[in-house]
Amino acid sequence: MQVNQVHYSTPQFSVLSQDEREMIFKGALEVMERVGGRFFNEEALELFRNSDAQVTEDNLVKIPSWMTIQAINDAPNTITLCSRDGERNVHLGKNQVYFGTGSDCPFIYDRNSGERRRYTCEDVYNAARVVDSLPNLDFFMSLGLASDVPHDETYDRHQFFSMVRGTKKPLVVTAVDKEGLHDLYQMELLLTGSEDEFRLNPRFAVYIEPSSPLAHSNECLEKLLFCAENSIPAIYTPCPSAGATAPASIAGMLIQTLAESLQGLVLSHLKKPGMPFIMGGVVTIMDMKTSNYCYGAPEMSLASAALTDVSKYLDLPMFSTAGCSDARVLDEQAAIEAQISIETAFLSGASLVHDIGYLDSGLNGSLEMLVLCNEIIGMVKHLGKGITVDEDHLAADLIDQVGPGGNFLTTSHTFDHYKNEFFFPKLLDRHNVETWAAQGKNTIVDHVNKSLDQILSTYEPEPLPDGVEKKMKEIIEKADKKMEQKKG
Amino acid sequence: MILKKISQAVIEGDVEGVKEMANQGLEEGITPQQLLDDGVLAGMEVVGERFKNFDMYIPEVLKSARVMHTVMDILRPKLVSSDGGESSSSKGTVVLGTVEGDMHDIGKNLVSLMLEGAGFKVVDIGIDQSPKSFVEAVEKEKPQIVGMSALLTTTAPKIGETVEALKEAGVRDSVKIMAGGAVIDQAFVDENGVDAYGPSATAAMDIAQQFVNEVKQNAS
Repeated sequence: MQVNQVHYSTPQFSVLSQDEREMIFKGALEVMERVGGRFFNEEALELFRNSDAQVTEDNLVKIPSWMTIQAINDAPNTITLCSRDGERNVHLGKNQVYFGTGSDCPFIYDRNSGERRRYTCEDVYNAARVVDSLPNLDFFMSLGLASDVPHDETYDRHQFFSMVRGTKKPLVVTAVDKEGLHDLYQMELLLTGSEDEFRLNPRFAVYIEPSSPLAHSNECLEKLLFCAENSIPAIYTPCPSAGATAPASIAGMLIQTLAESLQGLVLSHLKKPGMPFIMGGVVTIMDMKTSNYCYGAPEMSLASAALTDVSKYLDLPMFSTAGCSDARVLDEQAAIEAQISIETAFLSGASLVHDIGYLDSGLNGSLEMLVLCNEIIGMVKHLGKGITVDEDHLAADLIDQVGPGGNFLTTSHTFDHYKNEFFFPKLLDRHNVETWAAQGKNTIVDHVNKSLDQILSTYEPEPLPDGVEKKMKEIIEKADKKMEQKKG
Repeated sequence: MILKKISQAVIEGDVEGVKEMANQGLEEGITPQQLLDDGVLAGMEVVGERFKNFDMYIPEVLKSARVMHTVMDILRPKLVSSDGGESSSSKGTVVLGTVEGDMHDIGKNLVSLMLEGAGFKVVDIGIDQSPKSFVEAVEKEKPQIVGMSALLTTTAPKIGETVEALKEAGVRDSVKIMAGGAVIDQAFVDENGVDAYGPSATAAMDIAQQFVNEVKQNAS
């Protein structure tokens, strides 16, 4: 019998040591005390004025470190998101990874004409159906920005309606402003039943984005305060680009990003201590040739994994990024960038990994990319399983039994183990060249398109309960009418 | 010789060295206009080409622009005195701004730098600018070109509103209008009465160049 054994059972991956994580955190505290952030919302400023923070005339708020540390200590390290049926299937916390889409891409390639055109509600509904059908995607954001709506200012209600019709999975939602978020919440309550029920089994988290560097718009603060008031999980995630809206050094970008996210945490803590808060940051670079905000850069994956390390140090759930690309179409570049980011985000142990399905640097929400990424996530999750090292799996007895020159195919050991030990691809083609040629010489993109056609033509999501659609439409119509009156 | 040196300083981003070169050029009796045209702008032309060909990156271009401004600061008083008015080096004036409700300005700032590098006078009115402020800036600066930027779908409609405001103020036809930003495309500018769409800072520079050429052709 052996003693003092350590088994990893899963791969071990980190970018930062404990000391480096602490340095990033202390850097963020320094920024919050020394530089501060601008808050463009009166209620937020009033909450800060009534606290020990410093508020100056130009809306600049500086927060003492102890307030930040207290807010972190009070924040939950676990948040559960639920499906429409109340299934508690997304548990946000350290090293438990869930994948989902991003939101609000303005463009899509039309499946019939191939043309680049604006997203419609129907496209959002289709994206929802595709995510509902794919086993490796755990939550849904709209992917596209619904443009066939009466008013840009109320698009969020229409978009949300398409989302809830298409999938039962947990959601991350975007809203134009506080009124928009209020309406989405009312629409969701028609399904959840009551506010009490939502607090225990929240269907969605809210995506909120401050403006780097260190500015928080009125709309984003309104939404954060609404979440705090109603205990709705809030994701507070800046989108800095290194070299443009943040330092070019990754560590510098990280302390600024963390400061921005934690400034939101302290505010939400002043409103309601311990409200469900998810830190985040789409931390990437500005491409120095094109000035584009990069969604496929290795720097993004590296910085995201490092920020995830810091989130684990702080014991806060983390919103990370992967499965997205700067490629303009679904091509080899898209696959390369998606694979690198998905593998890195997965191994880093981030809680929610979003933006699966983005092409064209976040401008094109691709259903084809979702199908491809579903396969990549499957492969990467297999890496995450690691290998089992024990007597049965070392299989020395078996090797002895089969002996030199024998075969393993017919042994019961193979029969017993291959299903657990092997990955079974859905799309990757392993046929020999003759079969492959006979089947039409399909590439991965051909397989993706066939699989997507199959989903779009056959997959039926479970319809909304009776009467709910009508009531949701009433909320939407009311908002549209109000906007019409406002515009005169 | 000194002209070539100044061009080289612009290309290499030698902010310190160029001051001495500019003064030496003046001492040698080279006119300020020639120092500007054959020294600074000749260098910036190379910078523009290299940037387009991906031989230079944005931070280097910005440094070259700083060299250009350093020389301009030295030459400006002399340029004014020599021809009795404003510098004749400007290709035209561009009023630039991010539309109302939008706080994003990285793209706009890049366009501003590229335009200045190409010899335009740029009046940057900043972020979150109402249609009214655009109208006021056009009335005050009398530009040839107005550039608008929007990153968000919710703020993009402000571009159309600004065009309308310029029409109402009776100054629409005195300017060419260009727009850019993540959610803007050709279809959008067509629908909103904008003259051109630029998908990048270099494209914006080319469009501005085209606009002034058209104006010149129409004038001649």
